Amino acid sequence: MFRFIIFISIFAQLLFSNEAYEIIKKLDENMRGENISMRLSMRVVSLRHERTMKMQTYSQGTKKSFTKILYPPKDKGITFLSLDNQMWQYVPKIERVIKIPPSMMLQNWMGSDITNDDMVKQSSIVEDYEPRILKKDENIVTIELIPKEDAAVVWGKIIINIDISTYTSVKDIFYDEDGEEIRYFIYEKVKKFGKYYIPTYWRVQSSEKKNNFTEIVLEEVEYDTEISQQYFKKSALKRFSR
Amino acid sequence: MFSLALKNILFYKGRSITTFILTFISTVFLVLYVSMTDGSHDSMLKNSLKIYGGAIEIYHKDYRDIGGNEYLIQDVKSIESKLSKIDGIKLFSSRYETYGLLSFKDNSTASMVVGINPTKEIELSQLKSALQSGEYLKESSQNCIYLGSGVASKLKVKLGDEVSFIGGASDNSFSADIFVACGIFKTGLFEFDSSATFISRVYFDELMLSKNKASYITIKVEDLDEVDEVNNEIIKVLDSENLESLTWKTLMKTMVEAMEVDSIFGYISLSLFLIVIFFVIMIYGFINVSSRIKEFGVLRCIGLSKRAVFSLLLYEIFILSSLAIILATPIAGYICYYYSINPIVIEGIAQMYQDYGLVSDELPFSFDIFTIFWNICLIFILNLLSVVYPFFYINSFKPIEASRHV
Repeated sequence: MFRFIIFISIFAQLLFSNEAYEIIKKLDENMRGENISMRLSMRVVSLRHERTMKMQTYSQGTKKSFTKILYPPKDKGITFLSLDNQMWQYVPKIERVIKIPPSMMLQNWMGSDITNDDMVKQSSIVEDYEPRILKKDENIVTIELIPKEDAAVVWGKIIINIDISTYTSVKDIFYDEDGEEIRYFIYEKVKKFGKYYIPTYWRVQSSEKKNNFTEIVLEEVEYDTEISQQYFKKSALKRFSR
Repeated sequence: MFSLALKNILFYKGRSITTFILTFISTVFLVLYVSMTDGSHDSMLKNSLKIYGGAIEIYHKDYRDIGGNEYLIQDVKSIESKLSKIDGIKLFSSRYETYGLLSFKDNSTASMVVGINPTKEIELSQLKSALQSGEYLKESSQNCIYLGSGVASKLKVKLGDEVSFIGGASDNSFSADIFVACGIFKTGLFEFDSSATFISRVYFDELMLSKNKASYITIKVEDLDEVDEVNNEIIKVLDSENLESLTWKTLMKTMVEAMEVDSIFGYISLSLFLIVIFFVIMIYGFINVSSRIKEFGVLRCIGLSKRAVFSLLLYEIFILSSLAIILATPIAGYICYYYSINPIVIEGIAQMYQDYGLVSDELPFSFDIFTIFWNICLIFILNLLSVVYPFFYINSFKPIEASRHV
């Protein structure tokens, strides 16, 4: 009898962890497809300033992405390339390609509340974290992501609330290594593109600076279209900057 | 009683010489140790202050705790006009600090890039005197960058090389530029040299949209001892809930606390040494008194009171201690004075202790009469206390019993 209980509990644990993994994987697939291109606008609001940026992004799988700033005119043509967790930036004003070092990964990206690491390592929620279901409330499943021992990640813990009717996130909360809440993402306005669901409104809020937030609106989204491999070469930084 | 004590001192030479030598050594040792500790701590603080820190700095509230462009000082000119009317302020200047990415060829590093007024900084900091190669900044230096030696080494930059910069302007918008490496400095402060770079504010303000804005205003006072009074005056004149004016004591709190901890551990080690000395003096006194029980018994039998016996012992130790201290004080004082002017140089010590803010191989002593005075008093009191136990030991004998003691 005792063995049976142990067997059942291990089986249940495996089942739950497997279920959590499957949910996270489906969420990630929704966010990426096989490849995805998006035109989005970003509004960065802080205590004294507010500004809007528009950009075009192309990404393929989990390792390749290319971003080009379209607006404002001052920043137009700045490009970013992420390849295998490495990141480069091209700035037309100074005509230089700059590699972003690992020490800058937690720095804000273009003055927003998202970090360089967000640009590079979003895939790691599937590969680098161990998921565990904390709560199920009708369609909303709360999953805790704890970094795997050997994972090179910047967050100590992430709590994700996922709507399993669409496999899209409702709210992500990010904690540092000391368990302190650093920021959270709120996702709204889920739309269906082909077989994929994706929230088209994201709000990133710093937990410390209550007056600062970043809103991202996905204006155009295209999944699984053919994206030229030229975008994922270092030469693309200059070439597609114009 | 005094002459009797003097006779006893001359008669019991062994005990007298031992007590004298131990008192002399412990006095010299204590005075030198405290002087060296205080001197090196003072030197670290002064170096840090001289190199880049201000005696007083004015910040927007929350800039130091939270940081970011939201907490920049917005109307620098009006604050500077108020400061110029305060007595006791020698000089002030605003600085605009930002963190950005510097890159040269395949090398990149995060750096604190600071817009400064180069002329004022010559007097406010030691940036100019820390020049290692190239030239220091001028107001008209345009896109010249003055790099810490550590930054230059990380980027593998030589003078004349072009360094690209990307960062966030004061309105959080993106900023980028090409700077030319005009000078490399080395202050000796390891962290500082590895992260700090400087640009003339005239040029940097255009790039960062930071005209009339500042991360903080740094202030040099006429007399460092009156820093609190000047700071109170500044707070009164500023009269703003959004600004805070802090003295170096608050700004360098971590360093001051680290030094206090260092001093406490030093004093604990030293107190062990003093306890040993105290017990050696006491034991010698005790042995001496033990051999004089008959003498004390006779003295008591002929009418000497307990108090007079205690006075006798006290006089003996008083005379011995006074002689040792009178000799030790000028010697120790002179050594302190000499090394406060001509610090001891230990090659490589700055390299070894760079994390603790040591920027020089020189170890200056502190020469402070008050400190020397309390050091001497401590030794004197310990010596006087060393007769207490021997006195109680003698009193445990009755006078007749003591007079027959063999």
